[in-house]
Amino acid sequence: MTYGVLRRGGAGYPPLLAQLHDPPPRLYLRGEQAGVLERPAVAVVGARSCSAYGAHVARTLGRELAGEGVVVVSGLARGVDAEAHRGALDSGGTTVAVLGCGIDRDYPARHAELARRIVAGGGLVVSEYEAGVEPAPWRFPARNRVIAGLALATVVVEARERSGALITADFALELGRDVFAVPGEITAALSSGTNRLIRQGAAPLLGPDDVFSALGLAPARRPPADLTDVAARVLNVLADAPSGQDEVVRATGLAASAVAAALVELELAGLAAEAEGVHRATRVPERAA
Amino acid sequence: MEGVLARATTHALVGLEARSIEVEAHLQRGVPAFAIVGLPDKGVQEAKERVRSGIASAELEWPMRRITVNLAPADLRKEGSGFDLPIALAILAASQQIPFDTLAEHAALGELALDGRIRPVPGAIVAAEAARRVGLRKLLCAAESAPEAALAGVEPIPVRHLAEAGAYLRGRHEPEPVAEPPPYAGPPLPDLREVRGQERARRALEIAAAGRHNLLLGGPPGTGKTMLARRLPGILPPLTRAEALEVTRIHSVAGALPAGQPLVEHPPFRAPHHTASTPAIVGGGPGPRPGEATLAHCGVLLLDELGEFPRPSLEALRQPLEDGSVAIARIGGRHVFPARFVLVGTMNLCPCGARGDPAAECSCSPGRIAAYREKLSRALLDRFDLVVTVPRARSREVAGAGGEPSSAVAERVVAADVRLRDRPPPIGEPSRVVLARAIDALGLSARGHARVSRVAVTIGALAGAHEVEPEHMAEALSYRSPSELAVAA
Repeated sequence: MTYGVLRRGGAGYPPLLAQLHDPPPRLYLRGEQAGVLERPAVAVVGARSCSAYGAHVARTLGRELAGEGVVVVSGLARGVDAEAHRGALDSGGTTVAVLGCGIDRDYPARHAELARRIVAGGGLVVSEYEAGVEPAPWRFPARNRVIAGLALATVVVEARERSGALITADFALELGRDVFAVPGEITAALSSGTNRLIRQGAAPLLGPDDVFSALGLAPARRPPADLTDVAARVLNVLADAPSGQDEVVRATGLAASAVAAALVELELAGLAAEAEGVHRATRVPERAA
Repeated sequence: MEGVLARATTHALVGLEARSIEVEAHLQRGVPAFAIVGLPDKGVQEAKERVRSGIASAELEWPMRRITVNLAPADLRKEGSGFDLPIALAILAASQQIPFDTLAEHAALGELALDGRIRPVPGAIVAAEAARRVGLRKLLCAAESAPEAALAGVEPIPVRHLAEAGAYLRGRHEPEPVAEPPPYAGPPLPDLREVRGQERARRALEIAAAGRHNLLLGGPPGTGKTMLARRLPGILPPLTRAEALEVTRIHSVAGALPAGQPLVEHPPFRAPHHTASTPAIVGGGPGPRPGEATLAHCGVLLLDELGEFPRPSLEALRQPLEDGSVAIARIGGRHVFPARFVLVGTMNLCPCGARGDPAAECSCSPGRIAAYREKLSRALLDRFDLVVTVPRARSREVAGAGGEPSSAVAERVVAADVRLRDRPPPIGEPSRVVLARAIDALGLSARGHARVSRVAVTIGALAGAHEVEPEHMAEALSYRSPSELAVAA
């Protein structure tokens, strides 16, 4: 199999990437649409062993950003990275996976299918390493600089104190690009890195619109959903805090069967999602002021 | 006189069936000896010692002859201790201590104690049925086995001691009438009234009971998954008479009938530990014995900590889940055991159990979590119509009020069960639209599609609806297998 290759200084080499102080001399590509690298892109990165909250935020961000035509860049790793790619694919959008190993490798192996879908969806898998280079831990920070380099802004979804995602954020800051961090509970170790980023000056990310306005794009306009009364009541409960179904039952006084049906209705409308038995609103709903 | 031959009839268990066995005792002159032929296993060989001591203890005479006992047909392996009584009776008849012709009207089954007492053996009801089929109306058996044998429509002759059996056959003893078994007096089934909160899981149990859907309960430890599962038998529709007899037969053969309760009246509940072997779960062994899957027939099989079961055991369960029976192939033939049960599985969301618990932090690596979940093949996971995650409540708020009693839930289940059998509600057009949207938006597979439809019909029947409404379909979708239990990381 042959892979596309872009040379530093040559045609098609992404100008944003060239701004790194040590841009990769070559960038190998899997996928046909090399032009993808010239479109506005945002990196969504974070912990591999993320929480259900992190996975949910990554997926939602991937979906909303790609749905508006922004290219979602990430590292094909487990957890946040994979969810961001999947979210982009959910909305039929474009996403770019940056590998820390040879362009012919799928690392981790279980994401081979995800990589295939990324390419099939018009996206790219890219690497600065030629075919045959083994994955190694010391290559991942280098990979992170490529992720930061390709994106106009970087969003860190969840990160522990010494997470690789913070390295990506550092590269983005060096380049003078926007860095967002998703706030988390102060007691959650998985959010300690992102919360610290916010203290150090990163913008707290409260929703996809924050990214759109940073990129100078208009915030996405969503038609108000046509919900049943029951579903609207359930959504109000979720807007206060993520809840298990039993908690929704108690908060609303509705029957368990009605709550279950309403949550599926919300999920089908893209307004709520479930993970590990906990349901969350996918965005902060606009309430009548 | 060159030799004397006498016969008694008994039955050998082959799987869940009983085969008629003729016990021939032949007394010849010669050096006193005692041999049992006709493919007896070790346990049957040991009958020699019990029979000799039993006859002596009954103050009957041990014939000082060359004794040969043959168990016919000779090509069938004989197992167990139930041959003691018929062997003793055949020897007594051959030595003319009891009359031939009276013995010929009876089947006999029982183990002898060294003091001549008669002990019950498994499978009395099956043996009694087989006796009736070969035209024998009376069964000599241990007093404890008599109520069970009576269920099969033969006249049980309860005998406590070999001397009593001898006296009866000589016409010197009237057997006691067999008392009607007392109504069920075992421990009460656990009741849903004792469960506080857990509204969603309760609802899932109700649907599982009404439509006999397999249920997977996920969530961190200590959220009541097992406690909930134990309350499912109490809301299942009661067993029909035919089902009760079938279940009784199975439990009798397995030696699992509680003392004094000949008829199994409630749906059985079986919860094998995850260290149980595969044959213990699906059945097996040389003379195949029913496993837990068959013992749970018409009831509930709980696999607590599903992820801890060895994969071969789980894969072996796919056949009963598909066909409602277990087939065990042996050189001597193929045995089919019924195994139609509601499967309830519980599992943590990760090996350490902390996932889904807001107060704990999961220490499992993504690889370990993936390995834990991959234990359940897609194929097995696909057998669970209902998947419910029971999260730990985030706040310390009261877990909700004490719930509805099982009896109230059971009433609705019975009504739905009748509707499902008579006229299940058809899936209406608006519901199909909801389902079609779900296929697009949630990535529902063709298999998942069929499962959701089945559950929706059950929900419609529980609601007493004429057709499956969109809200029934939506609720059914909420029990679909979530992505996190599938292979994902």
